[in-house]
Amino acid sequence: MSGNYVAVQWNRQKRFYDGALVLGVTLYLFLFEVLNKVFFPLVTDEILLMRAFGTAALILLHVILCIGPLCRLHRGLLPLLYNRRHAGVTLFVLALAHAVLVVLTYHVGGDANPFVTILTGGGWAPSMVGVPFQALGFTALVILFLMAATSHDFWLANLTAPVWKALHMLVYVAYGLLVLHVSFGVLQAEVNPIYAGLLAMGGVVVVGLHWRAGRGEVAADRPAAGTVDAEGYVDAGPVADILEGRARVVCLTGERVAIFRYEGKVSAISNVCQHQNGPLGEGKIVYGCVTCPWHGYQYQPESGAAPPPFVERVPTFNVRVRGGRVWVHPRPNPPGTVVEPARWPEGGKP
Amino acid sequence: MKPPGDEFYIGWQDRAPASTGRRLRWVVAGLIGSALVLGAILSLGQRTIGPGGFEFGRLRSFSGVFVSRPYPHLLVPRPGGVAAPGVETNSTYYLVAPWKFGLPEALAKKWDGHAVQLQGTLIYRRSQTMVEVVLDSLRAATNAAPAAGTGPDFAGAGFALGRHTLVGEIVDSKCFLGVMNPGQLAPHRACAIRCISGGVPPVLVVRSAEGGVFYVLLVSAQGEPVNQAVLAYVAEPVAITGELSRHGEWLELRADPATIRRVSAAQP
Repeated sequence: MSGNYVAVQWNRQKRFYDGALVLGVTLYLFLFEVLNKVFFPLVTDEILLMRAFGTAALILLHVILCIGPLCRLHRGLLPLLYNRRHAGVTLFVLALAHAVLVVLTYHVGGDANPFVTILTGGGWAPSMVGVPFQALGFTALVILFLMAATSHDFWLANLTAPVWKALHMLVYVAYGLLVLHVSFGVLQAEVNPIYAGLLAMGGVVVVGLHWRAGRGEVAADRPAAGTVDAEGYVDAGPVADILEGRARVVCLTGERVAIFRYEGKVSAISNVCQHQNGPLGEGKIVYGCVTCPWHGYQYQPESGAAPPPFVERVPTFNVRVRGGRVWVHPRPNPPGTVVEPARWPEGGKP
Repeated sequence: MKPPGDEFYIGWQDRAPASTGRRLRWVVAGLIGSALVLGAILSLGQRTIGPGGFEFGRLRSFSGVFVSRPYPHLLVPRPGGVAAPGVETNSTYYLVAPWKFGLPEALAKKWDGHAVQLQGTLIYRRSQTMVEVVLDSLRAATNAAPAAGTGPDFAGAGFALGRHTLVGEIVDSKCFLGVMNPGQLAPHRACAIRCISGGVPPVLVVRSAEGGVFYVLLVSAQGEPVNQAVLAYVAEPVAITGELSRHGEWLELRADPATIRRVSAAQP
């Protein structure tokens, strides 16, 4: 978390996922090149590598874009989310290798500045091939660079979460630019319909998964229709329905609240992790702390504060247990405010 | 959504829960397998890699008669010096400079009509050949001056094939013949424009309805280079009307560049 920064917090799991990532990319590049050399022996090596790196980057981008919604739909895939950062950096490296080869092959050694021609392509012309698709790819590469360069939590903390999040949402802009880059670039030459079909299928999968996951999020954002008592507390349902160490998420006045039951107590904190907006209510109490399912950030349930030396804090909510039901006041307390947990069973020892 | 049992994955812990680990191993294997299948499909689906090549790193010696117009080329007598019926007595090697440039104008003027020898790297596509010349290797032939033979050369009119309208794509001959393979269409457009602007001879690639491909050297109606005049049309489907003629292994289209028009597709 944010106590001390290290480049990579290596552990057995991360070594496995990074190993699998490197293995997958290496096998892909190797297979692509072997098949080309066997079936198209006259292909130019630079163009072969350019295509190998470019297609590898595009496939990896699709995988990365799908990880988020897939994890919303199936929590068993969360390890992919935790290890997504290195996939993003790998994506940038692949895209950079593709771009360097493009510049060296198509733009260097002529009678014009290659940094100008990479932006202008061959100059605008009133046809499909006249679209300067190189500029689209270059812009996407800049976005991927900014994301890779700021992917570490050091930048998340220093840029502030909203700025960092907005910057990293640009991946969708990069994806759109790359779809156009491919459509107005290589697909104008390689007219085998399987390529356009695969690109369209990728778009359908990415959009479809986001739509499906988003539909669930919209449903979760519907305000709880519980009874409101005289003091403004909202009935959030039976305590007994909340699993030990887990939470129920309710939406109160537009904000999701995670109500945790643990060790005979009930506490309510904001559902939004301060790290990357992860859903704390889908987390678990581990070592006495609410643990975010996305990246393992932890918060004390009574105060919403991360255990020392970490400094993240989320809002807490006043909570009561009455008649076997949990009641939550919808007004958030300032982040880190200690709130006495409610007891369950009622009247249990504090 | 209910959690899968009560297992809970935390990335900073050394080990994932057992069932999570097992599931993820299958998922990762599936992702890698899917990527490899996609890689095979993407590799084998390519259709633009042509029968051309570039002997990168291998220098050959050439000697013949240097002809500067319409674009610098070398006429090399075929072995035996006697042509079979329908075969020219000379092979034609177009000459270009390294990178994205044609042979310098000064060199072309200096050696026009002379017997020369040079070193360079062969570029070829089927029977069409080109040499990327090591510029300082160009000198007067020291061996017996090779004769240009009796066949037609580009200085002459060639074999007239009549007036035609050809539909195709303008590319730079150097990349298209083999320096870059594939070296045509939209991905290669920026490079082709730089090459043609730098003096590499432009050719029109024509694909017949039967699937055949032939290429035609483009020159003005007066037989002069048209490099700068065709830049705006490179890599697009265009129609060009002019006088078609044959010079050795090469076809030439004499046409006024002002008559080039864009068409919807390169297919006739």
